[in-house]
Amino acid sequence: MFNPGLYFTLASKAYARNVQYRGAHLVHNIASAMFGFMYACIWIGLGRDHSLGTYGTQGMVAYIAFTQSALWVTSFITNGLGIPQSVRTGQIALDLMRPIHLFTHMMSKEWGQIAYQLVYKSIPIYLLYFFVFSLPVPGDGAAVLFTAAGLLGASYLSICINYLIGVSALWTTESSWLYWGHHALVNLLAGFFIPLEWLPGWLESFAWFTPYPYLLYVPTTLYLGNGDVFALGGTVFWCALMTLLCLLATRMMRRKVEVQGG
Amino acid sequence: MNLAKLRSWLRLYGLLVRTTIRSRMQYKFNFVVGTLLAALVQISEFLMVAIVLDRFGAIRGWSVHEIGYLFAVMTLSKTIYRTFADEVHHLEKYLVGGELDQLLTRPMPVLLALMPQKFRLMPAELLQGGFILSWALGSMMRTGQVGWTAVIATLFIILTGAVILFSIGLATATLGFWTTRIVELQNITEDAARTAAQYPLTLYPKWMSSLLLFAIPVGFVNYMPSLYLLRGEVGPWVLAVTAGVAVICIFASLRFWRYGITKYQSTGS
Amino acid sequence: MMIEAHNLTKDFKTPVVREGRFSGLRTLFSREYRLKEAVRDISFQVERGEFVGYIGPNGAGKSTTIKMLTGILHPTSGEVRVGGVNPHRDRRQAVRQLGVVFGQRSQLWWDLPVKDSYDILAEMYGVSGAEKTQRLDQFAELLDLREFWLTPVRKLSLGQRMRADIAAAMLHDPDLLFLDEPTIGLDVHAKRNIRQFLSQLNRDFGKTILLTTHDMDDIEQLCSRVMVIDQGQLTYDGTIPTLREQIGLPTEIRVKFRGPFRVPEETEVERLPYRVTGIEDDTVVVEANRHEIGTMEIIRALSEWGDIDDVDMAEPAFEEVIRSFSAS
Repeated sequence: MFNPGLYFTLASKAYARNVQYRGAHLVHNIASAMFGFMYACIWIGLGRDHSLGTYGTQGMVAYIAFTQSALWVTSFITNGLGIPQSVRTGQIALDLMRPIHLFTHMMSKEWGQIAYQLVYKSIPIYLLYFFVFSLPVPGDGAAVLFTAAGLLGASYLSICINYLIGVSALWTTESSWLYWGHHALVNLLAGFFIPLEWLPGWLESFAWFTPYPYLLYVPTTLYLGNGDVFALGGTVFWCALMTLLCLLATRMMRRKVEVQGG
Repeated sequence: MNLAKLRSWLRLYGLLVRTTIRSRMQYKFNFVVGTLLAALVQISEFLMVAIVLDRFGAIRGWSVHEIGYLFAVMTLSKTIYRTFADEVHHLEKYLVGGELDQLLTRPMPVLLALMPQKFRLMPAELLQGGFILSWALGSMMRTGQVGWTAVIATLFIILTGAVILFSIGLATATLGFWTTRIVELQNITEDAARTAAQYPLTLYPKWMSSLLLFAIPVGFVNYMPSLYLLRGEVGPWVLAVTAGVAVICIFASLRFWRYGITKYQSTGS
Repeated sequence: MMIEAHNLTKDFKTPVVREGRFSGLRTLFSREYRLKEAVRDISFQVERGEFVGYIGPNGAGKSTTIKMLTGILHPTSGEVRVGGVNPHRDRRQAVRQLGVVFGQRSQLWWDLPVKDSYDILAEMYGVSGAEKTQRLDQFAELLDLREFWLTPVRKLSLGQRMRADIAAAMLHDPDLLFLDEPTIGLDVHAKRNIRQFLSQLNRDFGKTILLTTHDMDDIEQLCSRVMVIDQGQLTYDGTIPTLREQIGLPTEIRVKFRGPFRVPEETEVERLPYRVTGIEDDTVVVEANRHEIGTMEIIRALSEWGDIDDVDMAEPAFEEVIRSFSAS
């Protein structure tokens, strides 16, 4: 059953729910912006004594500014899409009963959340960095298009990963462990603070076997103009694989709930 | 508060510590695995920086060991603060839900009734901080950069640091008596400020390092004392100043708290 | 005198919520307030050993009053004495002699077994080991605490939690007990259990109890005195029967006739202070205000209609009393 109106309603409700708190969230943006500012300062400090390769100091500042803004649409989304809470309260049995697939249901809501974070977090934070660090604008329209595609894929991947983490709550009470692990991997493997090419060789190779570089590194390098458009192929591949995993997980979950009654 | 009351309070706190540990230990496997995982996750944050330092050598003359030291001292100070006074950090919950009402019916100062509401075991942070600190100090002792006295001085600054972080946390929480919501403010005064001080303050523009030393004095938790302890850049007086800052902070924040609590408007009707 | 309240008044200042762009931020820094008078000039006294019900519609100021009596809120003006002590000037001394239960919030430690909460509370109030054991043994029996003695509080049912909470409030043996909605959300059985314990506390141990509730059975079964608050003002203070009388709600009388009977036409009974509200088979239902006409007079009047077999009188439901009282 495909009903675009319903998905749009779910997403816009999630968006509207957040808009009520936008005042508080804008205060929160100050803190978020400070984190990126600190990371940029570290790279500026490093750039004074060292050459920063193909990026240069200005390039690294631009890199950090973009990753720190993009985080809010590709990494820092609702933990486990809120599924662990709904397992704890028993709401999950109700959600599984609805005439809409759980995955698309949760995903629609999260797209609303992501849209909100794009408007009220990513863009204001990026604009702030843009003026504070006098960042360059991307050269051509194609770069913007590729970046947008990369970000879209990254958000979708992030939704899938969080869905899988959330669903695991049905089997373990400690799904927060997975969530922490996910964040540690974002720190190290997604290019959160260090561009992947500066990781130790073995870690860099390992990173490319995971979906993590596609969350931040790929869209960021595309934006900065030193990325490889073919990396988007990897994004598509991981999106397809993750979709399959999510559908499979939902099926297992349904069976589990039906057997145990939630 | 007299000595007998203090002793009784400590006994009550000890009781809470024992019962908390006992109830956490009921699920030993979860406890151990959870602790190890969380410690690894936290170390990944440092690893992120360590990898960069491994590649570039030093940031503005600060070696990876020195930065590890800053990082570990901050973690351990925060761990002490949050182990004993986690509920100060979570005051918003009490303000919104009205649970503060209960505490006001206790025959003791509200802060002393608030703290024993929860004893938080933070083994992962302890593990992470302890591990990075011993690695950093050990390496610096091997190269002769610091001596044994640094270990004692480090324990001292971890304690003064805990006091400073507690004071910042308490002052921020007190603002909740006016604003009710404090999570966003805490993100600035606690999380962002603390993270900033995990790196040498010389990295930041002047306005920001001054802010971190004089407005939200996280710089005194680790950075200022390390200037003397690790790098001999300033005199030993800096340790006395650090202790002085801790004392001033706690007095000021306690006064502010006492004033704030008179502004408490219980929710509901 | 256990409680003395003199001219208690409490105003709340609530920041005016801004609308539109950056409303959250602007509200945060706004200095504009709206003044709400939650309690207006309330005075009363409660004697040792009384069981007082404090009732009124939502938002009338019940909880605000309790919070002022327990020292949680400072009154804008007026004075409180609890056991002779001012809870705002000497909060710590005052609260030692009172126990407080908020029906919707637990004072127990969420993650810890029930027993551990008692250990901590005993230490908090300086209750000695022997006293603690003795009291807990007593409560455990009266409230059936043993069945969940070692269960963490978060796993208790609402009824169990309430029992555990009341025991916690009584652990330091206070003379005065405040209960804010102690039976809210409980099932019939759990309510009965708690009422039994409360009435025992009052009757056998001489505790003074003040409770707020929405459940009129609580009031009818427990309280010797009732105070009604509405829109911040005390509108009634006295016994339950007097309250009923004062409002003058009609008493319902059902008269069953043996054999044929004749109900007079409306025009004939108009001069009498009672009303026929229903006729079913052999029964006539009459409403009368006992203030204006005695029961015997009504029965005498009705016996003229036919041969009376049985008379059944029902007092008006108490909830009705309060509703009409608040409305008038």
